Parts: sequence; structure tokens; C-alpha cells
Amino acid sequence: MLRLQFYGLLRLMLSGKEALDLPWQEGDTVGRILEKFQAVETIPLTHKLISEQGILHAGTIILLNRRNILHLDKLDTPVRDGDVLALFPPGAGG
Amino acid sequence: MSVPDSERFSRQLLVWGEEKQRQIAGSTLLIAGLGGLGATVSQIMARAGVATLHLVDDGAVAWSDLHRQSLYGECDVGRKKLQVAEERLKAINSGIDIIAHESRIDRGFCIPPEVNSVVDCLDNFVSRFDLHEATPTGRFFVHGGIEGEQGQVLTLMKGTSQPLDEIFGGYLQPKGPIPVSADNVIIIAGLMCNELFHIMCGAPKLLDRFLVVDLSSFTFSFLEV
Repeated sequence: MLRLQFYGLLRLMLSGKEALDLPWQEGDTVGRILEKFQAVETIPLTHKLISEQGILHAGTIILLNRRNILHLDKLDTPVRDGDVLALFPPGAGG
Repeated sequence: MSVPDSERFSRQLLVWGEEKQRQIAGSTLLIAGLGGLGATVSQIMARAGVATLHLVDDGAVAWSDLHRQSLYGECDVGRKKLQVAEERLKAINSGIDIIAHESRIDRGFCIPPEVNSVVDCLDNFVSRFDLHEATPTGRFFVHGGIEGEQGQVLTLMKGTSQPLDEIFGGYLQPKGPIPVSADNVIIIAGLMCNELFHIMCGAPKLLDRFLVVDLSSFTFSFLEV
């Protein structure tokens, strides 16, 4: 299994859902996990994260086991059983 | 008017005792940005008796600041925030040292070596990344951010924690004004101060760990980085 965690506005959009465990398969990537998530979640969310062209939007950081996937292989980053994927739209103001 | 510290701090000494007060009184902070977060953080630190505050800002007070920036009033509109803040903080506690830096935070910014902790009260990530880059190795960096009813606080140790621009890599500043209200700003600023007091005593609670606050549901959660 792989754990997907939601923070901030994303959690609010998901009616307070904090996390979701998803089945993991050999060859899964961050992008594939987000597809799996959207297949089981009726509330549309992944369009907030990824454009139709498959490019990451800039308003949410995605951390795989504490590391920003931008510095890994972005949506093609491989994931493993037991990984934790956190979706966090930070506050920008001060 | 000179008042003994034992009288000035009598109520907070009941909370944290003399040893913690000594640690606070021996600390030097750099507070970058004197907007919503910075106005409240600097005020709490001055009231608490932090020895030296380095303040960095280059903006002026605007009408759109008054609803949330707790150091400023109508009579200050148009004045430099740095100048007003210095006056107000000195009026609150004349016993602390305030060193004003009228500057933007950019690649050339230098942080004095005597600073123990750097406090990110800025309102954009480009400057935040430059501030973190300028932070001397081994110093704590306390980040705060706010947007709508969400906010976050994070502590990093320069040199051992992930750099700020790696954690927030790819994040782009939203276009236009950021929605923000006074209650949320003051709550996040208060949490930043609480963490700073923990740091001054050598025991940060948010090192490499976001505290994510959602005031629409009154929930606090943590995110390790």
C-alpha cells in the first residue's frame, strides 16, 4: 500500500479527508498513483495538480517521503510499497 | 521610565521561569518583513524581552495593511514601516536593541553573524529563498506563510535541513493580492513566536516539520520534510 496525505485547501476540498491508502503495484509512479486516486475519488482534484498536458501546476508541492518530486523525476518518479506521498498547497503571504 | 525586569516580566516568569527569561534576554533575531507576520512577531519578541532585533523591510504603510498589521495605525499611512516599527517597539520596551535594515531581501543580502535565528515573515518565495541562502550555517530559520484560512510554520537548521528552495521547489507566487485576515495572521505569528521561544531554549518543536494550520476546520497537522 501507499499512503496519500492531503493538507490545507486540498483537505478542505476533500471534505476533511486527511489521507488515503492506495494499492501499490510494481512500476507505479507518482503520476500513476494520482490517477489511481482520482479513479476512486468522486471529487475532482488532480486537475488542481496536473495540467491536461501532464505538467505539474505550481500551486501545490508534492513530497514523496519528504522530498519534493520536482527534484526527483517529477510525475515519473517511481514509488515503492510503503511510500508516503504528501500534497501540500502552502500559504504564500506574510 | 525605568521598571525593573522582575516587575515587567513578572507574569511571564510565572509561565517559563528565570532561566528561560535569561535565554530569551540573550537572543538576537533577524526578522525579515514587517507586514502582517513581522509586525506581530517583532511586537511579541519586544514584549518578551529579546535582547536584539534586526528588522528588515523597505516598504511603507498602506491603508490595505491596517486591518492586519498590528504595529501601524492611520497616522502611519505613507511612512516607512521600518521607522514606525522601531518607534513602536522602543515604546513597548526601551530596553531592547533594534537595528534597522532598510533593504530588500535579494541575493546580495548579508545576515550579521551575531544573529541566532532568522525569521521569515516575507510575502513571496523568491525573497524567502534568498533569505534562507543568506542564513549562516548552523542558524535556525523559522518560516511562516499564510493564505486565506490556511497557514504554516516550519523550522530549518541551515546546513543540515533541506534548503527552503528544495522543499518549495517549483512553487510559483500566486498572481494578485493574497487573501489574508487579521485573526489568521496573528495566530500564525503567535505560533512562530512560540517556536522561537522553544528554539531559544534549545528545543525546537518544528525542526524539519511543517505545522499546517487550517482555521476553517480548526485543525493542526504535521508534515515532515
